[in-house]
Amino acid sequence: MSGSPAGKHTMQQMTGLRGTCRSLAAFLLGSIAVSVLAAGAACAQGQPLKVGEFLDITGGGASAAEAARLGIELAVQEINQSGGIKGRKIDLLTSDTQTDPTVGVGEIKRLVLQEKVELVFGPLISQVLMAALPVLNEAKVPAVGSTGSDQITMEKAPYYFSTLINADSQAKAMVNQAESALHAKSAAIISDSGAQAKSFVDSMKRELDARGIKLTGTQEYQYRATDMTPQLLNLKRGNPDTLLLFTSSGEDTGNVLKSLDDVGWIVKVTGNYTVATFAEAAIRIAGKEPFKKFDVTGMAYKAFTYCKADDLPKPFLAFVAKAKAFRPAESARLSLPFAATMYDAVSVFKDAVEASGGKTDGPTVTAWIEQNAGNHQGVLGPLNASPTSHWLAGPDMVTAVYPDRLLDAGLQQRYGC
Amino acid sequence: MQDLLIVAVHGIGIGAIYAMVGMSFNVVFNSSGILNFAQGNLLVLGGLFAVLALPDAPSVGQWILLLPLAALALAGLVAIQGGITLLPLRSSVEQHSWLITTLAASVIIGGVLLIHQGSAQPAVHSPFRGFRLVGMRVPASYAFAAGLAVLWYAALRWFHTRVLVGLAISAIAQDLDAARAAGIRVRRLQVLAFAISGMIVGSAGYIAAPVMAIASDSGISYVMNGFVAAVVGGIGSNLGSLVGGLLVGVITSYAAYNYGGEFQDMVALALLVGVLMLRPQGLLGRPAARRV
Repeated sequence: MSGSPAGKHTMQQMTGLRGTCRSLAAFLLGSIAVSVLAAGAACAQGQPLKVGEFLDITGGGASAAEAARLGIELAVQEINQSGGIKGRKIDLLTSDTQTDPTVGVGEIKRLVLQEKVELVFGPLISQVLMAALPVLNEAKVPAVGSTGSDQITMEKAPYYFSTLINADSQAKAMVNQAESALHAKSAAIISDSGAQAKSFVDSMKRELDARGIKLTGTQEYQYRATDMTPQLLNLKRGNPDTLLLFTSSGEDTGNVLKSLDDVGWIVKVTGNYTVATFAEAAIRIAGKEPFKKFDVTGMAYKAFTYCKADDLPKPFLAFVAKAKAFRPAESARLSLPFAATMYDAVSVFKDAVEASGGKTDGPTVTAWIEQNAGNHQGVLGPLNASPTSHWLAGPDMVTAVYPDRLLDAGLQQRYGC
Repeated sequence: MQDLLIVAVHGIGIGAIYAMVGMSFNVVFNSSGILNFAQGNLLVLGGLFAVLALPDAPSVGQWILLLPLAALALAGLVAIQGGITLLPLRSSVEQHSWLITTLAASVIIGGVLLIHQGSAQPAVHSPFRGFRLVGMRVPASYAFAAGLAVLWYAALRWFHTRVLVGLAISAIAQDLDAARAAGIRVRRLQVLAFAISGMIVGSAGYIAAPVMAIASDSGISYVMNGFVAAVVGGIGSNLGSLVGGLLVGVITSYAAYNYGGEFQDMVALALLVGVLMLRPQGLLGRPAARRV
């Protein structure tokens, strides 16, 4: 019977049926796979975006970290209220490095390996970042902080950006100020003992040498030191025309000026970005008098300065209004210019992730920021990053200011106005 | 030469603060064998008392009036800390949980300071502007700290040699078991020793507040240098702490002046290592006999 036509027909029918079944099975499997993938994608889209807030909440970097948190958390609140990034709300996980590289390594491992954060905001201290970089690089997690050491190159930190004016740019701006405004022929340097300060001293020595200004001495102090008298007496022996001051906190600035006043050494002080940005903390320690007595200048982002009281920067004022509504008590005592730099950093990362179709991996986010930072419209104005630089703030964004001539929210008057 | 004089005067002022922390270590150590590692942050709390209690423009009278209050406030606080530290111990000499307890107390104080004032470092208003020496101003706090350190040394010497309770504490220092067998209420006197150490750091912190960093993370520097002063001088010896504190202050200030600020901590620790290698009992300490 098996050789009968009927049997053959049955075989053909069976072969056809088998093919149909295979096609159907393939279709069903395909459908299931598509459904699973679609469901997965939908699920991922709805999942919160885990972001690490990797800051130096205690220790020497604490005062800056408090301001940074204000800026970051204000930006995150705004993003979440407007629906998140590509539909994903930000889940901010905060960690404290204690301004200690060893603690920082443990914390970044917890954030990246355990909590699986996709972006990192922070840190603010160069040596903490340097210790955390292997973890960030290995996981290809993009990060933005506010560190200033020139040791943090694009090779060492391929997915990291900094909002801070780097040590080299600060050094150039300060030496320029000393030479063109103060007509200094000699200078001495006093700085804290952090990694950023060491980069700064190296840059400063190169810059002074290039301009033919004599370096009469360099000195260091520890974070939170209150008495810099021995260091200042040492520098006084060289009789420099100006004292180049690089600090990492407003309190340290105040203590240097207080010690200078005690020593009775009248010298013009050319300060860095911190001297300007955290001037309120310095005034709390030393008062306003030493700022006038030593003709203190500091470096600031142009976006936070003014020349005449009727011509104030509107983007910054808008940020200040939002910060005051968000956390009034903190806004009254923290550096809002510094908070604004981290607010802008969150904003540029949001733009990068949205424009990259929701991708958060380091190479994609980095490539977008490198190409588009110049078009970003934030409080700081167009940013500086490019395929050859991850410094979001370039040298042309810096200007010298009178740190003690403060208007509401930390706006400072430009030097020479 | 003038510079060296100023460096020495500043060194003596800073060293006097370390000396008082060292003496505070000794008072507790002699009565219980405990090294209270919360001393640094307790000193900062003494400074915080000045921040909170003194008005913006205090008069000399207000300032003097609040000094004993700062000492008493810290005495009460440290007595409580001592009571909690000693509570689980049958013998503070043979059991060592105090190591963790005192460190925990330090961490808690740091945390409370952080919650209270954030990262900010408040300024302290003093009615004294300081005095002029070779054309430079020396903060009055340094002179007061030096005077107070000598005063505390004299007071402790008198207390331990002339007052019955002080003699009883000295007896504990010599032999805890024998003192207990003689009917001395050891635990009560140990808590009293904690209270006295609180008075020392409370008054020191209050007086030195204008030249101190009153912040959640600054206690570590004071406890480290105070400990170095105590060990260099000879742990248990108040005269040793006085000498050790001044030595640490002057040497670290000179190192900053002549070699650079980055050498300050290094020099203090080198001094510690050097003394431990050449004279393990410290400059004025006595070698302890141990039954083997």
